[in-house]
Amino acid sequence: MTRIGRGLAIPLLPWLLAGCTSAVQSGTNTFLDSVDLQQMTDKMARSIVADPRVQQAIAKDGALKVVVQPVENQLTAEILPRGQAEAFTARVRALLSQRNPNQFVWILNRDEFYDLRGKELEVPLGPSPDAINPQYALTAVFSSLTRETSQGRSDFYVCSYQLSNLQTRNVLWSDSYKVKKSAVKGFLD
Amino acid sequence: MIGPQADHSARIALLPPLPPGKGRGEGKPCGTAAPGCVPPAGGRSTLRPSVERSRGRLCHITLPHPNPLREGEGETSASWKARTTILALVALLLFLPGCVSPAQQEAQEAVTSYFMGDYLRSVELLKPLAEKTDENFVLNNDRLGSASLAAEDYATAESALLRSYEVINSVGVNNGGRSLGAALVSENIKVWKGEPYERAMVNFYLGVIYYSHHDYGNARGAFENALFKLRDYGEGQEKNDQYKEVESNFVLGYLMLAKSYQRLGRADLAQKNFDRVVQLRPDFASLAAASTNEQSNLLLIVDMGYGPRKTTNGDGTFVGFRPTPQEAGPIPLPSVVVDGRLQELHNANLPPVDLVAMAQDRQWEDIDTIRAIKSVAGTALVAAGIGNAAFNHHSDPAVTFGLIAGGLLLKATAQADTRQWEMLPRTVFILPLHVAPAKHDVILDFPAWPGVRQQWPALDAPETGDNAYYLRLGQYDVRPMMRPSRPPPPQGVY
Repeated sequence: MTRIGRGLAIPLLPWLLAGCTSAVQSGTNTFLDSVDLQQMTDKMARSIVADPRVQQAIAKDGALKVVVQPVENQLTAEILPRGQAEAFTARVRALLSQRNPNQFVWILNRDEFYDLRGKELEVPLGPSPDAINPQYALTAVFSSLTRETSQGRSDFYVCSYQLSNLQTRNVLWSDSYKVKKSAVKGFLD
Repeated sequence: MIGPQADHSARIALLPPLPPGKGRGEGKPCGTAAPGCVPPAGGRSTLRPSVERSRGRLCHITLPHPNPLREGEGETSASWKARTTILALVALLLFLPGCVSPAQQEAQEAVTSYFMGDYLRSVELLKPLAEKTDENFVLNNDRLGSASLAAEDYATAESALLRSYEVINSVGVNNGGRSLGAALVSENIKVWKGEPYERAMVNFYLGVIYYSHHDYGNARGAFENALFKLRDYGEGQEKNDQYKEVESNFVLGYLMLAKSYQRLGRADLAQKNFDRVVQLRPDFASLAAASTNEQSNLLLIVDMGYGPRKTTNGDGTFVGFRPTPQEAGPIPLPSVVVDGRLQELHNANLPPVDLVAMAQDRQWEDIDTIRAIKSVAGTALVAAGIGNAAFNHHSDPAVTFGLIAGGLLLKATAQADTRQWEMLPRTVFILPLHVAPAKHDVILDFPAWPGVRQQWPALDAPETGDNAYYLRLGQYDVRPMMRPSRPPPPQGVY
């Protein structure tokens, strides 16, 4: 029986092991991920409130009326779906809303406002973008240098954020997050 | 041929049956004094194989007796059970590849529905399958992407193809058990990511969706990534890398990349990519003219025909693609009629991709080497087993059986993975039209293939920019579309 057991175990072992991971569990890629989202937006939220020019503008004009735009995708050979493009700026807005509620008035961008209103969600949407003229826009542009070969892929990301005056086009604040990622292709990749 | 005989002896026929009267004693145990058979020499035990010869020719191998009442009962019984178990496992491994699960059956039904032009049914069948994160996760999402696009369900197509895109662009998806399983047991265990041309097409269709949504930033990213995927066809140190040859069969990617840059207002980068198209395929000068594309306000993206089929050689070890471009013949060229008036296309109706040709550039991979080694080793073991039985009069039946069983086991696990994205077209026509800003009835006709035509009512051509419509021209789906193809809602405008 021991021999039979061994005989059974050897061919069945790979099958047993194969059940360990699903198609979305094991893989890694060079794309921006949730860790980057957290680190990047934490850094930007801290950077905005720590900026002396921003504080000067708040002291002069009161709470800044800011419209938030989704990230503009200038990444090489990479898609940034709409949800992710919104998340990278929306989290900055959320952090500043929580920590500095008196310094900013957040205005949804027109598309997002009407999209949410169309869903008839019972959440406060804030003032209509048509009713309030925002003074500032929080924008972000993500770009990357990418190299992909049959051996692997590497991406160097530069994620730039700006808070700019919509009337004067002056940039009140800007900062960037940089990260390099690489992945080496192996067996069955 | 293994099976109980009249006297409960298992026999393996090593030669094809001889004609009656030629001295083989068919149907009669050679251990008994059958006419024409030489009796076993020296009164050998029935537990040893007896290789009998008739007129100098090999007759039968008599395997050990399964009857526990005979001599050596205890050990004989145990060893017989062990061998039976191994035999059952070998048989299991041989038959497993042929088994089709209910999920695979549903997927096949979905593919058939797609071929028959019933895209909604195909989507319905594929949706639950595409949620399962098993080894067919990417394949089923690709299939769902194709079916949803044809059914004009762009939201489902986008989410399905994005799921596929995530896995395709990841490395180490098959790490651990799946790699081991694919190498040792069956290649079908691995998470399917497709051939490079299939990966490129996932990105291409995502680009089409974003382009149709006027989200040109993401369209550009997707078309660039489609071109990157072709680099999996291999690069060398030499100036003329192999993937560059493949690119000439995929000017589609450069063309759509150029168009995306054009819509993004980057005329310089658009021109660079249009130039690249002409450099690779000089006959595409008309289609890749910046002015033609700038003025176009109605873009037809038409899938035509079907891609190649993945095939294997006789014993299922080596993979290839059929038909070849020569076998498939030339791709017919379309003509376009808008509101009853034939459009002058000025050679802009050439096919910018031929997946049948691209598939022929498949690279040899490590897993192919493993399969080949297993197949050759399996054949060698079977031959050794047969040889041992045939030429070694004192051979141990267990050794013979073990060699043959091991060989069959290796052969059974050396089967190539023939999964593929069946819904891919042979080509995708890019037809930029300049028409009056209004709704138009469009007929696509193939003069070289009489009867193959498709009609789409109320395609909307805007005053500025362009509206892109994806159209699937199926083999059996040449009925006129009864409902107007609706342009997807614009996105990316704030």
